[in-house]
Amino acid sequence: MSLLSIEHVTKRYRRGRLERVAVRDVSLDVERGELVAVWGARFSGRSTLLRIAAGIEAPEEGIVSFEGRDLARSRNKVLGRRIGYCQTGFSAGSRGLVVEQVASGLLAQHASPKQARRRGQEMLFHVGIENCARLECHELDGAELARVAIASALVTAPALLVIDEPTSGVDLLQRDPLLALLRSIADEGTAVLMSTGDAQGLSGADRALSIDNGELQGEPEPAQAHVVPLRRAESGARRR
Amino acid sequence: MVVPGEHVLEERGADSASSAVLRSQVACAVLGLVIEKPSHGYEIGQRFDRRFGGFLSVGRSSIYAALASLMEAGLIEKMSGRSTTGVSRGAKAGASYRATARGARAYRAWLAERVRNDPQRVEMLGRMTLAGVHSVEAALDFIGRYERECVREAQELSRPIDGAVAGCGGVSGVVERLLIEERRRMIDAQLGWITYARAELRAVRPSSPTDG
Repeated sequence: MSLLSIEHVTKRYRRGRLERVAVRDVSLDVERGELVAVWGARFSGRSTLLRIAAGIEAPEEGIVSFEGRDLARSRNKVLGRRIGYCQTGFSAGSRGLVVEQVASGLLAQHASPKQARRRGQEMLFHVGIENCARLECHELDGAELARVAIASALVTAPALLVIDEPTSGVDLLQRDPLLALLRSIADEGTAVLMSTGDAQGLSGADRALSIDNGELQGEPEPAQAHVVPLRRAESGARRR
Repeated sequence: MVVPGEHVLEERGADSASSAVLRSQVACAVLGLVIEKPSHGYEIGQRFDRRFGGFLSVGRSSIYAALASLMEAGLIEKMSGRSTTGVSRGAKAGASYRATARGARAYRAWLAERVRNDPQRVEMLGRMTLAGVHSVEAALDFIGRYERECVREAQELSRPIDGAVAGCGGVSGVVERLLIEERRRMIDAQLGWITYARAELRAVRPSSPTDG
């Protein structure tokens, strides 16, 4: 059983009489501990796909299952707990100390303030910005904000981290270390599903897929002898 | 009796045969010409000279050898003794050749790989593309394959702080990172072109979906 299973999902947006198909008959599995990167241009459907994968948006057609359960029914129980989600651009968020921001996910689950704060501090150490704990979010640069967002999403020990354009707004030289952090998170067992608009975000992913016009493109078939083997043997995007 | 998996083995065998034939640039050029228009050997030779003569100088025997190899690999097939114009050229003209579906697929796959790998031969490849990709659907298929090649290459590029590169310090480490970054940016440009090309092709497709 896959950790996340997206089956024949379609999502449309309507504005007046205009209709746009943002995601079109997409199927995708994500396994535990896997790093899956989806490349797409703007308006390709990449962000919509990730919001659907996280349970933030419900598809109009198709089924999304997480840990074997229909995500449409279980989203309130898993989003912010078993699924962590980080949005594009990582706004500085509410005012307050960074460690409080990171701990807020646990406080929402009625953890004690002391326990939540300790866990928040651990997460900041985990993502490499423990020295930012006593700063306010508006004092951070793009890379630090991204790490705060990742720490906030990881504080509840999710099985899946969904992260939309992790390097958006991050200084060029800070992008690779940030992507390496996502790789290490996957290696430790938390699956990562991320979107990217550039080639840099695809480096080192277990599976690299592309989305265009709402359609997810799979990996190339290893048809010819000289083709370099894929990192993992299993199939990527599924088309049934 | 059909043995389970037999067709898969047959297909794999065919892929490897296609691969071997398409290592010859002459065979690829000939395949492109046959895809463009079914023709007999003599016509193909003439068209080869007009289209590729400035790049590849080969004799008629090489053209016929390429046709034989393509036939053997199942990438082209014989039609009849008449040319595509319907005018018989007699026994000397021989049979006309046309591409099989597998030949068209193999050609597009070959093109997608070479366009990425051999930018210095882009003019030659551009002419081959014009010959072998002559419908919107075929062009979109070609672009899809090209995109997958780019995405895969980006995936396989090591991240500068990973693996062996991480051990490189000083100027050599910086240079290593810069070379990787240069390649990434080229891939970004290729992916950007792919996005643009798709938009152009969809705009000219007659039954383009109206989903905005």
